[in-house]
Amino acid sequence: MRRRTLLRTLLAALAGIGAAAPPEPAPQPFVPSAALREFLEARAPSGEPIIAADQLAYFEGLPAREKQRFDAAVGLELIGAPTQLQEILSLGLRAGPLDLLLHDNCLLCHTNPEEQDAETLFSIDPEARGSPSHLQLGEFVSDVHFRKGLSCAGCHGGSPDVEGMVDEIYERWPESPARHTDRTWIPAFCARCHANPLVMRRFNPGLPTDQYAKYRESRHGQRLLDHGDSKAAQCVSCHGVHGIRDAKSPRSKVHPRQVPGTCGACHADAAHMAGYRTRDGKPLPTNQLADYEQSVHGRALLERGDLGAPACNDCHGNHAALPPEIASIAEVCRTCHAANGELFDGSEHKRAFERNGWPECAQCHGNHAIAKTADSMLNEAENSLCYACHRQHAADNPRCIETARYFYDSITTLATETASFESEVHALAERGLDDEPLSIAVEELHETLQQSRSRIHAFNRSEFDAVADRGRAVVEKSRTLIANSDAEYRFRRNGLLIAIALTGLLALLLYAKIRQIESNEPPRS
Amino acid sequence: MSSGRATRSLFDWLDARYSISPLIQFVREKEVPLGEHSMAWYFLGGATLFFFTIQIVSGVLLLMYYQPGEATSYESIRYITTQVPFGWLVRSAHCWSAHLMIASLVVHMFSTMMLKAYRPPRELTWVTGFVLFSLALGFGFSGYLLPWNELAFFATAVGTDSVKSVPLLGNWLLQVLRGGPDVTINTLYRFFALHVCILPILTVGLISVHLIFIQRQGMAPPRGERKAPRGMKFFPSFVLRDALLWLVCVTALGALALLLPYGPGIPGVEWELGHKADPLAPAFPGIKPEWYFLWIYQLLKEFPPHLFGLEGPQLCLLLVTALMTAWALVPWLDRKARRDEPSPAFSDFGVAAIFFLVFLTLKAWDIGGGGGDAQGAQLPDPRAVAWTCAWILLPLAAAVTLLRVAVFRHRWFVFSAAALLHAVLHGFAGLSYLGAGAIAAVLAGLAIGVAVMRERRAAPTMGGGP
Repeated sequence: MRRRTLLRTLLAALAGIGAAAPPEPAPQPFVPSAALREFLEARAPSGEPIIAADQLAYFEGLPAREKQRFDAAVGLELIGAPTQLQEILSLGLRAGPLDLLLHDNCLLCHTNPEEQDAETLFSIDPEARGSPSHLQLGEFVSDVHFRKGLSCAGCHGGSPDVEGMVDEIYERWPESPARHTDRTWIPAFCARCHANPLVMRRFNPGLPTDQYAKYRESRHGQRLLDHGDSKAAQCVSCHGVHGIRDAKSPRSKVHPRQVPGTCGACHADAAHMAGYRTRDGKPLPTNQLADYEQSVHGRALLERGDLGAPACNDCHGNHAALPPEIASIAEVCRTCHAANGELFDGSEHKRAFERNGWPECAQCHGNHAIAKTADSMLNEAENSLCYACHRQHAADNPRCIETARYFYDSITTLATETASFESEVHALAERGLDDEPLSIAVEELHETLQQSRSRIHAFNRSEFDAVADRGRAVVEKSRTLIANSDAEYRFRRNGLLIAIALTGLLALLLYAKIRQIESNEPPRS
Repeated sequence: MSSGRATRSLFDWLDARYSISPLIQFVREKEVPLGEHSMAWYFLGGATLFFFTIQIVSGVLLLMYYQPGEATSYESIRYITTQVPFGWLVRSAHCWSAHLMIASLVVHMFSTMMLKAYRPPRELTWVTGFVLFSLALGFGFSGYLLPWNELAFFATAVGTDSVKSVPLLGNWLLQVLRGGPDVTINTLYRFFALHVCILPILTVGLISVHLIFIQRQGMAPPRGERKAPRGMKFFPSFVLRDALLWLVCVTALGALALLLPYGPGIPGVEWELGHKADPLAPAFPGIKPEWYFLWIYQLLKEFPPHLFGLEGPQLCLLLVTALMTAWALVPWLDRKARRDEPSPAFSDFGVAAIFFLVFLTLKAWDIGGGGGDAQGAQLPDPRAVAWTCAWILLPLAAAVTLLRVAVFRHRWFVFSAAALLHAVLHGFAGLSYLGAGAIAAVLAGLAIGVAVMRERRAAPTMGGGP
């Protein structure tokens, strides 16, 4: 024995580890009680084990402390059935959240099918148990409040340590069914914590506490609080209940990629929106979500996952959501498209749009269904943007169409040249020529092209040419680069041809010499 | 004084001091043996030497501008190919010549194998040739990293990683090879030293030994003749023919360097600079080594993670080592050739080796696998790859076998048949590569056993063979 210890020490010293580490106390082996063992080994009427092999393996891998908590919960009959144990194990929670769950008598009791009816039973699969969908156990244990230790009692009152129900729960919580038909109490209820900096500091000091104040000023808040319209969205409508995740989580209902769906749940539902009207008395449309999904913004956000693209709340606000008025639409667009906004401000169009009461950007680009811009918007086709508008509103000013034609011709020429140079870069690389200068020129051209398209918003030739001329100079430079490369390749090819001719001649001479030598040699035996 | 008299007196002056006359006499009398087989095979060694010379010359020219270093390796190669006059030609010729050198070396080695030129007393010429082949592979592996581009970086990371499988010394070897646990600029420094200093010294020394052996013993005459019945004058006939071949080689090299500056575009035979290496970037899929390493790369892929209580890569390296050792020891293993008797089994072993290498190399290219896009979104289907490669090998093998039967009168096909059966079982019957290999090996063993028994019973004559 001593020899083995010595050997182990020697090996540890050789490995250079462990020699200085203090010896860890041997963990106490966990022995499950008979009741827990019975649950773990229970079988369904079909003979199949209720606790599956992977769940048993998960249980075995838990720290002894968590196993003891399970044992205690079974002993107290808070876990009252093998199926309840199976549901808890199937969550596969890490030790931290599992500890919270096993500490929470409310949750243990409300997952016990022996104690609860379908209306109050939390379950992994509420549909199978006939429970309402908000009693999803899997969602609840992912809730941001639960993960911060603010479980059932945080909202419903009572204490998670108490085994029975207490009056406080009934006092704090509105009676059903009133609480389902009248939702006006919800914002103030959430605001008890979320509008209180002293409370929020304990859980998330970085989170603002002005949501309730903003909400009261929003159209949703006005409808709910001033008019008692419980169809209007409140906290739960957007954030959910019993499964609220951090807004940064991709599964949160208010994550940028989920926001269109969350807003659309009401705003794309014609039945829900029936009766609501715009300021000018028209029925409020419900096609915003469909339009947005097809728009350049919607595609960027929903298809490419580009979180820089705006969702509903980026233009309308979130807690203070209001429809932007004509005067403010352009300001909303300018939060991202600032340069185009500045160019437009200095243009003749600015005054014309103001005269007609047109909503600057939205007049040409639309609002929810903003399509990707195309150079064809500038051409002279019957339905092209510039031409159609000018024919109707500025038919007496031929200069406008000329300018649009100039923009269109300049941009399409630059775009065509850029595409041809791009393919030339590949051709140069394939021929082993230096493609870097042309590659840089093409990048420059792309940049110039983008800037030229942006400069159109000044609706002024000299503003436009300040950038387009730079592009034209790069086109000239690129042509010279290609001509030089072609000359270099011709030089190489001609050099090769001369070399082949010389070596071929030399080879012929050699061959002739070999024949001459061998014809002069006497025949060998 | 006429120029003839001046040359004569210069020669006399040198001869008096350095005894050149015997050397001249040796060259005059030296003959290249001519046999039944084509004498084209005798030129392959010379062609390999020519490409090696091109490597030295172009390598020295590259060395004048190349600067090893994290911030300079890639940049200096880019500078060489874009700014230095004729730098593009030098780099392209260096790369093309490297591949052509290894290709001619492989053909030279296999022709030596098939013609049994390793027969006594030329065993050590074979061994030095084998070591030179290994050094050439070392040149390829070390030179690949020097441009410090993305492809080279990741291919070297994968290539060096396989050394880990060497029993006991694996991790230590990996550290030595990489100069640390990962491929870093330290790896490049040691690969640079290896490529431009250590390997050239060893190679030049060993080429000298190889050539001295050949000069001392002469070129191997055809089997059955200790001295060839007729010969070709080494000087000037053979030397002029050699020069003619070199002229063709240099012209081909120039044309290839201009027309296909970055290689033919096949994975393992390309050297486009691409992007600079970024050790923090994720490795992109589909990284393949140079074509002459593809068979080992594919063999490693065929092994499962664990087999017979050993790690798959370990077992694979053991197999490769055993095969290489057997190859190096062929002059001693081929006892019939030692007695100057026909040894058809070893001819067939050479053909089987070609089938084995070709099949693995084709598989490594994922031919017929579909998918395998640049992003690796769709992996090639291994069953379809095996099926297609077996279909390519089958007609190739049939043509070779017909040629052997009709022209060379070969009658011994156990090894080549086993290699073919291996490919067929794997490609068409869907057996795993190793499973099919095991079945083919067992059947080949049985066939050899039966052949040996028959040979012992009957007269010791075996039909045909070179």
